[in-house]
Amino acid sequence: MISETHSALLIVGHGSTVNPDSSPPNLVHAAEIRRRGVFAQVECCFWKEEPSLRDALLLFDSPALREVYIVPNFISEGYFTKTVIPRELELTGRVTERITGQVWKYCEPVGNHPLMTELLLQRAREVAPGVPENETALLIVGHGTDLNDNSAVAAKREVEKIRASGRYAEVLNVYMEEAPLVAAWAQLTRAPHVVVVPFFISDGLHSYQDIPVLLGIEAEPTAAASQREVFRQNPYQLHGRSLYYSHAIGTEPRFAEIIVEQVEAFACDTARPRKILHEVP
Amino acid sequence: MNGRAREWLREIPCRVGEIAIDRGDAGRWILTHRDDRARAELHPHDGAEAAVELARYDDAGNFRPLKTAPNLRHGWRLVLADEQEVERALDFFYPARLATWRSWRAGELRTTPLRETLERQSGMYRVTAKITETQANELVANFCRSDGGCLRTILWRRDATGTLPSTLLPAEKFDPQHDQTGRGEAALPLLCQEACNLLVAASREVVKSTPAL
Repeated sequence: MISETHSALLIVGHGSTVNPDSSPPNLVHAAEIRRRGVFAQVECCFWKEEPSLRDALLLFDSPALREVYIVPNFISEGYFTKTVIPRELELTGRVTERITGQVWKYCEPVGNHPLMTELLLQRAREVAPGVPENETALLIVGHGTDLNDNSAVAAKREVEKIRASGRYAEVLNVYMEEAPLVAAWAQLTRAPHVVVVPFFISDGLHSYQDIPVLLGIEAEPTAAASQREVFRQNPYQLHGRSLYYSHAIGTEPRFAEIIVEQVEAFACDTARPRKILHEVP
Repeated sequence: MNGRAREWLREIPCRVGEIAIDRGDAGRWILTHRDDRARAELHPHDGAEAAVELARYDDAGNFRPLKTAPNLRHGWRLVLADEQEVERALDFFYPARLATWRSWRAGELRTTPLRETLERQSGMYRVTAKITETQANELVANFCRSDGGCLRTILWRRDATGTLPSTLLPAEKFDPQHDQTGRGEAALPLLCQEACNLLVAASREVVKSTPAL
């Protein structure tokens, strides 16, 4: 049970040393959850910004706090959730008891939440209003990495679910760093309309600056999203198609709800064995 | 955070890094850049959340990935309702520094030597463990220096034997009593218990640029 006097929440984000728009979604979701008064304390920490994951070990020093729920605000269960976060936060498994008796509970990343499918479809509809879905290819862009085989699992799962609904003419996974590459979108699709939704946490370096170049809608990386007046001027006419590029999925305000639900799911699920266990560093 | 002792606020004006904290009217608190305390024409802001934006960019509009870098923007005045708001604002300006200070004051702060931080890295940062002693000595001196680098007071050592992080830094860089802004005033220290990710990333650049033998 989450207690508003004894439970704390730690949202873990990637952050960026070069892009100002990477961490704000985490801070916005944290502020919303704080406003709801569900937890005694709500904090964020980052791999690339401050407070760092190591700093987070010091943030919950009130003796009243008996438990700290950790929710990775990451799309995929991969290198960060399985290696970096457990190591930096000194977690020994799903449940880690500190020397003070405080218990840290490691929840699933947000990208594993069942609501992701609905949010991806919502983003696709918003970015291309009135465009017939049966004449549209929907591309879900993930990062993709060779550091962890599970990195693309969440994106593949979402694509399979959307494809099974039969709403779009085509539904494909594409990645920045592994095949099928987002840069090859024109060869990978046939439909006259192409909607691209970044399965990313923020409109940061990858989703706002790198992917548009790979898509061909920008010649070179632009300034950060928050430093430009217009987010996007959809649609882009390229290769004889209409291309629509949306905000990253993680900027959706309902992510605050998802973060809390990942905590609730942990509380309900602790008795059951997990399919994928977090590695113990 | 409620009810936690706020000893650091007892001295007025209280200074934390580049920030001055003063009493305002009706029990409120006023935060400004220390350079701006005497200035009348300041852009007013209120509420702790405003600190997020104030801390994000420097005077030239560049993103500040390191919040303890000595480049806090000028020209603002932040009005806060109570001590709890002051703490929350400082947590945005200087994330986790109050928590680090509290832990240090309680004698509970655990510091991690640079070598240990680098040796536990993985992925693209695994290579940082290869940094030489000479390279580390120079990098820390350049990257962490208070004039232009970072205003934190370094408490960690280079290795488990207690080697100084850098022999090229002045002794006061490791002294929590010293005002790292160079103003020579009493200020709450921004304590550094472990090398940050930016220093780890900078170590990677040094190692990667080293010609193979």
